[in-house]
Amino acid sequence: MNKIIMDDTIGRDTVLPALAIRNLNFWYGSNHALKDISLDFPIHQVTGMIGPSGCGKSTLLRILNRMYDLYPGQRATGEVLFDGRNILSPGLDVNVLRSRIGMVFQKPTPFPMSIYDNIAFGVRLHERLSRADMDQRVEGVLRRVALWNEVKDRLNASAAALSGGQQQRLCIARTIATRPEVILLDEPTSALDPISTARIEELLDELKQEFSIAIVTHNLQQAARCADRVAFFYMGELVEVDTADKMFTAPHAKRTQDYITGRFG
Amino acid sequence: MPHESVHTVQSYEQELEQLRSLVNKMGGLVERQVAQAITAVVEHDEEAALDAPEMDPQVDELERETEALVIRLLALRAPMAGDLREVVVALKISGDLERIGDCAASIARRAMRNELLSCPISLTGLHSMGRLVQENLRCTIDAMDQRDPELARIVWHSDTAVDELYVSLFRELVTYMMEDPRNIGPCAHLLFIAKNLERIGDHATNISERVYYAVTGNILPIVRPRGKTFD
Repeated sequence: MNKIIMDDTIGRDTVLPALAIRNLNFWYGSNHALKDISLDFPIHQVTGMIGPSGCGKSTLLRILNRMYDLYPGQRATGEVLFDGRNILSPGLDVNVLRSRIGMVFQKPTPFPMSIYDNIAFGVRLHERLSRADMDQRVEGVLRRVALWNEVKDRLNASAAALSGGQQQRLCIARTIATRPEVILLDEPTSALDPISTARIEELLDELKQEFSIAIVTHNLQQAARCADRVAFFYMGELVEVDTADKMFTAPHAKRTQDYITGRFG
Repeated sequence: MPHESVHTVQSYEQELEQLRSLVNKMGGLVERQVAQAITAVVEHDEEAALDAPEMDPQVDELERETEALVIRLLALRAPMAGDLREVVVALKISGDLERIGDCAASIARRAMRNELLSCPISLTGLHSMGRLVQENLRCTIDAMDQRDPELARIVWHSDTAVDELYVSLFRELVTYMMEDPRNIGPCAHLLFIAKNLERIGDHATNISERVYYAVTGNILPIVRPRGKTFD
């Protein structure tokens, strides 16, 4: 099995996009779910993906870290270039890939273990750290997601006892603990109240200094608030991609305009 | 400014429709106000002179209604893209229309002053300027009503002619004043009237810029066409 070359000089601090999708097609069995998509995810930017249900945006996110591998009958053609490699190529080590392209889901998915272990678990799969180093890593990422002060006295308590917003921040902490380059978020705040949502959005703004972020959201206001660039998908096609500013004030395509102003169907 | 396709949420569509109708109503009212003001000056029409300022409170009220509706739409509907442009532009346009109404009222209030009624000076220049401003305003309001960016752009360009007429009228009036100090009174009033007409032209230009932006999403160049100025 080929390993992805861990080379921090590639991708970071250059104008190369963190991820570059080229002529991507995807099928669920005979259903052609994504049609010839080409899209860049710029480094240190938040790229938002919007579109009606079934438009292919979540499918695209699942392709970016090869989640679709888990299901039979799903297949992709084209290229997704990450660090100079096509992540669709069969020889790729998906475990390494998923540590470099992390994912956060719609509902918080803490593991049934302690807060501390939720973070340490993923790190242990890829790195051998001393207890002190691991403590430091756990504290560092919990601080990063502004959860440290809320949980520092109960790191050994079950993660299930946290509120929904805290659990989601824990999941983000868990994702960044393996030091990925890209973070994928699939509607990360749709199950959260407005304050928790605002915290996550604030967090994204901070995290993009360090990571490149792709977020799927049904909440257009959220895309407007968080994303630097926004891509609009419809029926498996990429209709338009532009800066959030342009997309929400003067989109080019009529389908984009109709969708974001609520005139669809 | 109706849109091609309609919103899934009908009450939203109705509110936008209400906004369009408010601004159009305001446009119609202000257009009449300007027409009355010009009639009052060039035909010494007393009824018209009283009529124009009397419409002012109605225009002000419409502006307040427009503002309230825009704020409600922004807060409750969070409009995006074309809707956002239309809502924000409606707010700006209502401000320009209100100012046009003020200018018209100010012109009408001067119309029946004795200095002007007994004025020996020809009002031909003022009449032409008034007609042009009225025509531009009419086209602006049509462009707004029909969401016609091309018409908006044409009006935007034609304000140059108003500016030029204003400059030549200014020179003419200054000459009269230098010829005979007894002309100073009426000429000063005529100058204010001309200035107000010129201001109306500027507000109409602003409106056409905004219509153009609302419909196309593009902004007309910052430097707008200007006729000869004094500087």
